[in-house]
Amino acid sequence: MTTRAPARVVVVGNGIAGLTAADTLREAGFDGELTVVGDEPHPAYSRPALSKALLLDGDDLTSHELPPAGHGATELLGVRATGLDVDRRRVTLDDGTQLPYDRLVLATGSRARRLSGLPGELTLRGLDDALSLRGRLAAAPSVVVVGGGPLGMEIASGCRAAGCEVTLVSQGVPLVLQLGPYLAGVFAGAAREHGLTVLETAAARIEGHGANARVVLDEGTVLEADVVLTAAGDIPNTEWLAGSGLTAKGAVPVDSRGLVRPDVAAVGDLAAFPTAHGVRRVPLWSSAIEQAKVAARALLRGDEAPPLDFQPYFWTEQFGLSLKAVGHLPAEGEPEYVDGAPGGGPALMRWPHQDGTADAVALNYRIAVPRLRRMTRAAA
Amino acid sequence: MRIVLDRPRCEGHGLCEEAAPQLMHLDDEGELVLDREEVDGADAALANAAARVCPVAALRVA
Repeated sequence: MTTRAPARVVVVGNGIAGLTAADTLREAGFDGELTVVGDEPHPAYSRPALSKALLLDGDDLTSHELPPAGHGATELLGVRATGLDVDRRRVTLDDGTQLPYDRLVLATGSRARRLSGLPGELTLRGLDDALSLRGRLAAAPSVVVVGGGPLGMEIASGCRAAGCEVTLVSQGVPLVLQLGPYLAGVFAGAAREHGLTVLETAAARIEGHGANARVVLDEGTVLEADVVLTAAGDIPNTEWLAGSGLTAKGAVPVDSRGLVRPDVAAVGDLAAFPTAHGVRRVPLWSSAIEQAKVAARALLRGDEAPPLDFQPYFWTEQFGLSLKAVGHLPAEGEPEYVDGAPGGGPALMRWPHQDGTADAVALNYRIAVPRLRRMTRAAA
Repeated sequence: MRIVLDRPRCEGHGLCEEAAPQLMHLDDEGELVLDREEVDGADAALANAAARVCPVAALRVA
């Protein structure tokens, strides 16, 4: 294979994964023609902020804004990729444009998994979703949130803060799948104190007509509210890759450098990459950034570029609690308290594993990620 | 170029410190300290990388 420097790189996707890939290509010395395709008309923004500060921050509508891109790419925004021909090295866009490339970055992310086709079922995934929900909350409507993961709980928290009556429907205890029983218990207590009603159910479905949606639980209970919002996970945007041979099980599997093949990388929420717990998607902010940094270099340098050394960083803010975690949650059993004590005050916790490493969690405790990461390592 | 911190917005994640440990760090209280504010050349690129990873947009390079 020739090692000639690529002249044209196309990045499909303008979220933090695509943006970081484009930035990193430039940092790594790529000075050729760079094109970024984004299906939203907005510049890249911080998605984690949408369900946190953006729902809460008074009149401040800037908490999701990122510094302007410095990669100097040709940006095609409000345009969607519809096809990929890996043999001819061309991306097709929905306006009919064909974009040739020498190297390609797939970063089209994922979308909200919906439980119905009804427009009355809201989801929160993109900036427009968040601004629309924010607008609705001004009138303090009643709200049912379906989904007991971090996103559903953050949205429920934001709606409570806006003065809404909020019912959250969850399969089992909220957050237990993501955080483990101990931390889920802490959050359940805080949510209760903040007036959240939680209904546990085996399954929920959305029924109704048009803008009029209601939630029907497994046992037949019907929940009606002014706003019905679901937060039931995400689905990778891989449809445009149909026929490319690059997808498997609804995601794009990549190697330890984020490459699908030598000339194509996949980064962010649609990529399944090797982790300590198998090949999987890790749809988190810092995951997207780290994947993109590694893959951009690998596109230019192949195996000479360092592989991904990944350790998840996750945070959530809700019901007066701020949690930061490094490691592979959920955490089982009781933690060691490195600082603070049980009871809801600021605390630094550690769940040790048999090999000496640990998951580290800070609750209402300001600590930098590098320090939290150090707490996960085995003692020397 | 100058690094500008919007302190009330900073939540102390410290992803910026990971990106640019030469330029900034979180102190023992988890408050961000800019060790350098005026940057140019390679440092300006680092500062931009630090601003980029902040999920709450608390950093600007202007």
